Amino acid sequence: MSVVKRPSQKAKWYIPGILTGLKITMKHMLFNLTHRKEMMTINYPEEKYQYSDRFKGNHILTVKKDGSLRCTACMLCATYCPAECISIIAAEHDDPAVEKFPISYEIDILRCVFCGFCEEACPVDAIRMGPEHQTAAIAGERFIYDITQLAYRPENKGGVLSKVDDEERHRRGL
Amino acid sequence: MPKVTINGKSIDVEAGTSVIKAAQLLDIPIAHYCWHEGLSVAGACRMCLIEVEKNPKLQIACNLPVTEGMIVHTDNEKVRDAVKWSLDFHLINHPLDCPICDQAGECKLQDYYMNYGLYNPEMAERKQKKNKAVSLGDRVVLDQERCILCSRCVRFTNEVTKTYELGIFNRGDRSVLSTFENRPLNNNYSLNTVDICPVGALTSKDFRFKQRVWFLKDFDSVCNGCSTGCNVKISYNNNGVFRVRPRVNKEINGFWMCDEGRDVYKFVNREYRLDQVVERRDDFAGASVKGKPVALALQEIGHKIKDSQKLAVVVTAQYTVEEYEAFFELFSGKLKSTKFYVWVNNEETFESFDGLLLRGDKNPNTNGLIKTMKKFGIKAGLWKDFEAAVVKNEFQLAVVAAPENQNVYPELNSRLATFEKLEDVVWLSSCVNDRFKNFRWQIPMKSYVEKSGTFINFKGVEQKIKASVKIIPDAIDLIQLSAGLSESIGVAR
Repeated sequence: MSVVKRPSQKAKWYIPGILTGLKITMKHMLFNLTHRKEMMTINYPEEKYQYSDRFKGNHILTVKKDGSLRCTACMLCATYCPAECISIIAAEHDDPAVEKFPISYEIDILRCVFCGFCEEACPVDAIRMGPEHQTAAIAGERFIYDITQLAYRPENKGGVLSKVDDEERHRRGL
Repeated sequence: MPKVTINGKSIDVEAGTSVIKAAQLLDIPIAHYCWHEGLSVAGACRMCLIEVEKNPKLQIACNLPVTEGMIVHTDNEKVRDAVKWSLDFHLINHPLDCPICDQAGECKLQDYYMNYGLYNPEMAERKQKKNKAVSLGDRVVLDQERCILCSRCVRFTNEVTKTYELGIFNRGDRSVLSTFENRPLNNNYSLNTVDICPVGALTSKDFRFKQRVWFLKDFDSVCNGCSTGCNVKISYNNNGVFRVRPRVNKEINGFWMCDEGRDVYKFVNREYRLDQVVERRDDFAGASVKGKPVALALQEIGHKIKDSQKLAVVVTAQYTVEEYEAFFELFSGKLKSTKFYVWVNNEETFESFDGLLLRGDKNPNTNGLIKTMKKFGIKAGLWKDFEAAVVKNEFQLAVVAAPENQNVYPELNSRLATFEKLEDVVWLSSCVNDRFKNFRWQIPMKSYVEKSGTFINFKGVEQKIKASVKIIPDAIDLIQLSAGLSESIGVAR
């Protein structure tokens, strides 16, 4: 079936229609020029929107006071992860107080569904979901985040400090 | 035979049986840490409290022999409350190490806390601090904080191995498990203490931090480390095989196995295995060509066997009975000129025995090989006969059913020189070695976890193993090899 719309007499009056449209555009432009603070849009690559602290973006591995990883490689996050995107290789630490630590911690960010279960499962506040949400990359291997990317990327400014402190726990006799 | 009633179920047991054993026969669980069927009774943990009717106080089930008409309750309010308090005392000084503890997931403290505990700790006192990650010997690590002093490991070294390395020192809440000065826990059965430890105090250096136990699956198998044939369960997941632990079989190994047998899993993992056919090609300046399909390789080998006048077959006792049957049927059937040789390893210590489990014969199926050879009427030569025949240049071609576990063949490297003198060798092997490249053919074979069959141990007990994992997809066993060869040689099977 084909529909042919014949030009009606009414369609000759297009000038008022254009003017109505222009009026709306001009109204918003003038409003935005005079009220720049209330403007809805931002200049994206230069300006970035600050999400709330509860935003679940790219993962952060937190660090201890000395700058080493807080993670104890208990693998509860890897166990709990519904997307099975976390792979950890544990090793024995020289310091008997630390005992176990990850020599490799990798998150396949393309498989991650950003559910936040890893953050929930972690007993020592070693993994958090951060505020960043851009995961664009050029090469495929860039989507597998390793320890350098997760804990010491420039946005983390030398590492995010964990809330759980071993020395403090030890002092309290836990 | 006294009759005992536990939770309404009755059973007749022999006089002198403990209540915990009678409950085990009835499949009624009683919480316990220190009691172990293979060790003496200590009565240290006070977890197995039960109520006996007409008895005002609760009794421990492990040290209470049954009497005629005894009526026992294990699951009423009074018992559960008492067990909860016992557990609370065990956990007073226990650190919250579960995230980094290897025992987590198979820990009795966790299990019983979920069954009986579920309380909030009410202790205001600080926990006692003790030493962590103490190395007790070459294979075992001790965490003194996690230890609940059940003394199972101490009794094991006193009663089973009679080496007396471990002891409990100091008193009260300062009691620690430790070794004596300059006497590390280095006996060949030390890893059994890790198995029987109900908590994470003793952990194995080999398995430590490799995997969390809930990522592993178990399958039942038979150890192929020596001719005792201990019953084992092997833990594995997608990343490979990780540990071997004993399975109870009172006829053969009881509750234990040796440390040497626990290393036997190592050669089956992918990185130690021959994963494809390797062929030495003279036309490529002696270079090796990899990756030819197994069926095609078997066809070429079959033609070679057909053409060659004299053929030597060398077998080791590392394969299953079913495999030997197929193999001998092929080579002793139509190929009448075949000469058979048996490669015996560790000839000096072959008959030795350490008094508990470990035997000098490091093959799982020596008896199976002898039996199958008798069945086919094969008179096989020994190594010196083979060596003499090679020197006399009797053969062009040898088919070698090589050892699956080359670690138990210490003379391997010296004997390879004899094989290298031959023009063509078909080397059936599951492991890699640099020197194998001198052989004409290397065919990847299955290891004992990948095939089904029968092992006959030193006593003549037949034990079945079952194919449970697939590690090398291209690997074949002697049955598939014989089928492939007989097709190309033209011998009806």
